[in-house]
Amino acid sequence: MLTEFGKVLIFFILGAVFVAGGLIVSWLLRPHKPYPAKLTSYECGEEPIGHAWVRFNVRFYVLALVFLIFEVEIIFLFPWALVYRELGLFAFLEMAVFLLILWVGYAYVWVKGDLNWDKPEPKVPTLSRQFQQTGRPEPARI
Amino acid sequence: MTPQEIHDNLKAKFGTAVADAKLDALQPWIGLAPDRTLEVCRFLHDEAGFEFDYLSCLSGVDYNDGKLGVVYHLFSMNQKHKIVLKALCTREQPHIQSVSQVWGTANWHEREAFDMFGIVFDGHPDLRRILCGDDYPGHPLRKDFKVPEFYNGMKVPY
Amino acid sequence: MGILNYKFEKSNIVIASLDGLLNWARLSSLYQMQFGLACCAIEMMAASASNFDIMRFGVIPRATPRQCDVMIVSGTVTLKMATRIKRLFDQMPEPRYVISMGSCSNCGGPYWEHGYHVLKGVDRVIPVDVYVPGCPPRPEALLEGLIKLQEKVRQESLAKKTVR
Repeated sequence: MLTEFGKVLIFFILGAVFVAGGLIVSWLLRPHKPYPAKLTSYECGEEPIGHAWVRFNVRFYVLALVFLIFEVEIIFLFPWALVYRELGLFAFLEMAVFLLILWVGYAYVWVKGDLNWDKPEPKVPTLSRQFQQTGRPEPARI
Repeated sequence: MTPQEIHDNLKAKFGTAVADAKLDALQPWIGLAPDRTLEVCRFLHDEAGFEFDYLSCLSGVDYNDGKLGVVYHLFSMNQKHKIVLKALCTREQPHIQSVSQVWGTANWHEREAFDMFGIVFDGHPDLRRILCGDDYPGHPLRKDFKVPEFYNGMKVPY
Repeated sequence: MGILNYKFEKSNIVIASLDGLLNWARLSSLYQMQFGLACCAIEMMAASASNFDIMRFGVIPRATPRQCDVMIVSGTVTLKMATRIKRLFDQMPEPRYVISMGSCSNCGGPYWEHGYHVLKGVDRVIPVDVYVPGCPPRPEALLEGLIKLQEKVRQESLAKKTVR
C-alpha cells in the first residue's frame, strides 16, 4: 500500500516521464543538420555585427527578488489561514508580528525607490538647422 | 513672378552663373553653371519675392550627346510660382555642386542621381549609392550601360 | 476534424503510421516566414485577412526564421535583397520549404528583359518547392499553392533522405 507521500512521488515521476518522453521522442525524430551559415545570429538577413547576447537591465532582477520574498510570505499565510479559527487570538498576534516585520522591509523598498520600473531615457529628436521663411512662423521644435 | 522676370533677375544678379534658358517651352527652364548651383539656389530659396521652398524633383538626365545633367523642379508655396533649372556637365568631368544644404530633400535625390548616372555632387554630406548594391558595377541609367553577366555569384540576364 | 472523426466510428483505437502522423502534424502547422517584398505582399496580406484566411490552414506568420517552416517569397527580388534571402533561408531549420509567389520571384516577371538589378527568379539563389503564377496571384491561387505544398509534405518519409 502506498502512503500519501508515495502518491505524490508517483505524480512527480509521471510528470518527469511526460516531459522527458516528449523531449526524447522529438530528439529522435527531428532532423539535425547544422552548418556554419545556419548557425550565424539572426540580424534580419544582414551580416551580424557583434553577438546576440545583450545585457539585461537590472530592473528585472530587482523585481524578481522582491516578488520571491513576498511570494514566500504568501505561502506561509496559506496554512495559517486554514487553522486560524481554531487557534484563536494567539495565532493572530503571532502572524501580525510576522507580517509587521515584512512590512518594514516593504516600506524600506518602496521609499528607496526600488519598486520604480526604470525606463531608459527617451531620446528627443531636435531639428539640426533653422528654418528661415519670410512671413511664416517657425515650426515647433519637437 | 513670370519666368521672364525670374530669368532677368537671376541674370542681373549672377551673370555668368546663368547660362541659356528656354522660356516659351511648356515648362520654362533656366540653365545654370554646374559649379555655382549652390549660390543660385540659395538665393532662390531665401530671397523675398522668390521663396522657392519646395524642390519637387531633382532628376539626372543622360543627354545622348556626351553630356550628363540634372534638372531641378522648384515651386514656391507662398508666391505660387514654379520654375525649372537645368545644370549640365560632361561625362569626363561629372561634377555638379550639391544643393542639399538648401533643400533637405535634395540629399536622397542627389544620391539617386549619383547611383543611376554617376554624377558626383560636390559638398554632399553622404554621397553613396542608394538603390543598387554598394558594389554594383557601373551606373545603370547611362545610355552606354551594359548589364553585368554575374553579380555576387548570381546570373543577372535572363 | 477531417481525419480523426472517421476512425472513431467502430472503436476507440486510432492506428496511424509514424510517417503519416508526423507529416500531418507538419503540414497542418506550416509557420510562415513573412517575406513580402512588393505588390504580391499585398495579395499575401489579403490571403491572411478574414476573407481568405490563410491561418485556418495553420499558417501563422513569424518574424524570425528560426521558428518557420515555409518562406513565401512574394514580390520582386532585387540583387541587393537576394543575398539577404539566401542568408535567411540558411537560418531556417529543417524541414523547410519555399513557395515562390508571383511572376517576379518565379522568373523575373515583367523585368525579365531590361531589369538591371532584378534577380530573374528566386530559384537562382534558393531551392523552390511550389511556384504560384500570377501578377499578382489571387489569394485563392496562393491558397492552392499552399495546398499543393501540403500534398508534397504528405508524401515525405522519415526513412527517405531529403535534399534540403
